[in-house]
Amino acid sequence: MSETILRVENLTMHYTTRAGIVSAVDDVSFTLDEGESLGLVGESGCGKTSVANSLLKLLADNAVIKGGQIRFKGTDFVPLSEEEMRPYRWRNISMVFQAAMNSLNPVYRVGDQIIEALETHLGLYSHAQARQRVTELFTMVGLDPALMDQYPHEYSGGMRQRAVIAMALSCNPDLVIADEPTTALDVIVQDALLRQLKTLQEMIGMSMIYISHDIAVIAEVSDRIGVMYAGKLVELASADEIFHHPVHPYTVALMSAFPSVTGPKRELQTLAGEPPNLLYPPSGCRFHPRCPFATEICRQQEPEFKDHGGGHYAACWHPQEVTV
Amino acid sequence: MARYIAQRLLQIILTFFLFLALSYMLLEAMPGDFSQLFLQDPKLTLAQREAIAASLGLNRPPHERFFRYIGSFLRGDLGVSFQYYPRPVVDVILERAPRTLMLFISSTVVSFYVGFFVGKLLAWRRGRVLEYITTVGGVTLYTVFTPWFGLLMIWLFAFTLDWFPIGKFITPRLWRDAPVEANVVFNRMLLTALVVSIVLLTWFILTRRIDTRRRRVVHWGGMGLGLAVVVGIWGASGLGPYALNILHHLMLPVLTLTLISFAGTMLLTRNSMLETLREDYITTARAKGLPEKVIRDKHAARNAMLPVVTSLVFSLAFALSGGVITEGVFSWPGMGEVLLTSAVVQDIPMMMGALIFTAIFALLAHLVVDILYAFLDPRIRYG
Repeated sequence: MSETILRVENLTMHYTTRAGIVSAVDDVSFTLDEGESLGLVGESGCGKTSVANSLLKLLADNAVIKGGQIRFKGTDFVPLSEEEMRPYRWRNISMVFQAAMNSLNPVYRVGDQIIEALETHLGLYSHAQARQRVTELFTMVGLDPALMDQYPHEYSGGMRQRAVIAMALSCNPDLVIADEPTTALDVIVQDALLRQLKTLQEMIGMSMIYISHDIAVIAEVSDRIGVMYAGKLVELASADEIFHHPVHPYTVALMSAFPSVTGPKRELQTLAGEPPNLLYPPSGCRFHPRCPFATEICRQQEPEFKDHGGGHYAACWHPQEVTV
Repeated sequence: MARYIAQRLLQIILTFFLFLALSYMLLEAMPGDFSQLFLQDPKLTLAQREAIAASLGLNRPPHERFFRYIGSFLRGDLGVSFQYYPRPVVDVILERAPRTLMLFISSTVVSFYVGFFVGKLLAWRRGRVLEYITTVGGVTLYTVFTPWFGLLMIWLFAFTLDWFPIGKFITPRLWRDAPVEANVVFNRMLLTALVVSIVLLTWFILTRRIDTRRRRVVHWGGMGLGLAVVVGIWGASGLGPYALNILHHLMLPVLTLTLISFAGTMLLTRNSMLETLREDYITTARAKGLPEKVIRDKHAARNAMLPVVTSLVFSLAFALSGGVITEGVFSWPGMGEVLLTSAVVQDIPMMMGALIFTAIFALLAHLVVDILYAFLDPRIRYG
């Protein structure tokens, strides 16, 4: 039985804007085991990235964690100061960012940017040793170690993404959060990278959180999948369950909007309406204005996020029993 | 890179001759000439005045004089100054230029450094009361009328508080028995500054690969050692007190010029830094758990510096033209003062000489910054 390394409980995060308070993450709870990979999927603006950034407390100036706990190996991150968070960042939890293309500093050599992390967290001050480590990392992600003395602009998009992954793995973290790691890449490179990430994860034994709006990407790499809608986690189950027995109507809709290559041809179903403005989230269940099964209770009361059997969590008053 | 520098040098030479021709034409376009200064002198007859004009070559047609000027310029001869007759123009420039360079290079470097440092901190800690005070104060000083502010500074620091000498660049009493001329000391000071910066830069580049923990000690040690060697050499040469005297005279003008101009760099750095702080690589640096200081200085400020360096070039060129006013207020006998008087009395060769000096300085500064840019931003490659 593997150990739970991350336990997020009732995490709520707000952005204070001039127009009012935006509740970007509302009451989100999940756990992550050692070596497990969790996928977070949802439309743009549903709060996936906000969840990821909250985990490392990499918050914008106007963002505030209003409540909840982020327990990493027993330590709650929420009350920690920026300086107290520092040792955990990258050493325990590292990130591959959404805009990995721009997440390397243009004026420093790629190798030096990795060495910087090694010096800060592992106390690896010897230049020769640090370069040895970078050589290992580059080989691991499939980059020519000679590239470490080049600048980011001399890399192609795929190479940069690999370098960013090498950097994320540099301090042997327990958890790597990959936020849309492949969005900017073409499908072929995307696929190669995802495979590589998966292999590396199995090799190193770290946990991963993948974040993407692309359910195909998530499906390929995740053991469990969490579906987010309007700042809420609406369903969380094993990848198999999510794909074949979705419970929440939003997940059902998401699956029907996704073509199957091998299955029978069918009309793809799209979901009417738009995700709500989080300045004024709908009352009750946030999905009710777009939900075909919505009733009075959905408008008035928020459904509880509860187990529908076998660790299949969902927050819905009218759980579906469909087989896709 | 060598090819680029060669190309740029060619460009610089072309620009320079264009500048030469234009300046000469403009000076020629001024009504009257040097000999008319003596118009009021009843002891000089018309024939004598004409003889003066003829001896200075002023009776020849302008285009002929221009080509003769270019000819002698190419032979390294800038002619003889009318007002300092019979001193050659080159001689006057060699005497004045070190003083001006000393004053404006130090004030530009100091105000650039102060502006960059303050701007960096303002962007990092946004929205504090201090930000408003510094911004409003800086902009007020930036827009203030320079001569008035210069006089105010002299009145406060030199006259009332008596911390600094009032004007000039040396104390005559001290220099009466000096073994060398002031200019020798000036030149040596400039040379020292140049050598020290080159040695320190080389030292920093050579030691950048060593162990981070020891690097600090090595850097500061190197800087301390360099300073000690400089002090030692100056002390042993016996010129130390004279150099200190010049430094003492230099402080007030540098302080004034810094106060007047740091706000430009400060605001530019602040804006550039705020933009840089929104970049993704700053978030990466934060996620990497780097100390705040490293994120601010190494990641943000280093990138924010690029546009600021560009502005430095312009300020270098403007510093010299602004020198006319500042040198006047602080009675600093440099190029600015020469430029002003020679324009007033139509001392064409001297005026041309002063303009040529400014042009060469500005053009070379541009070249240096272009080359520097290639080192600051690896994305720039001159093919």
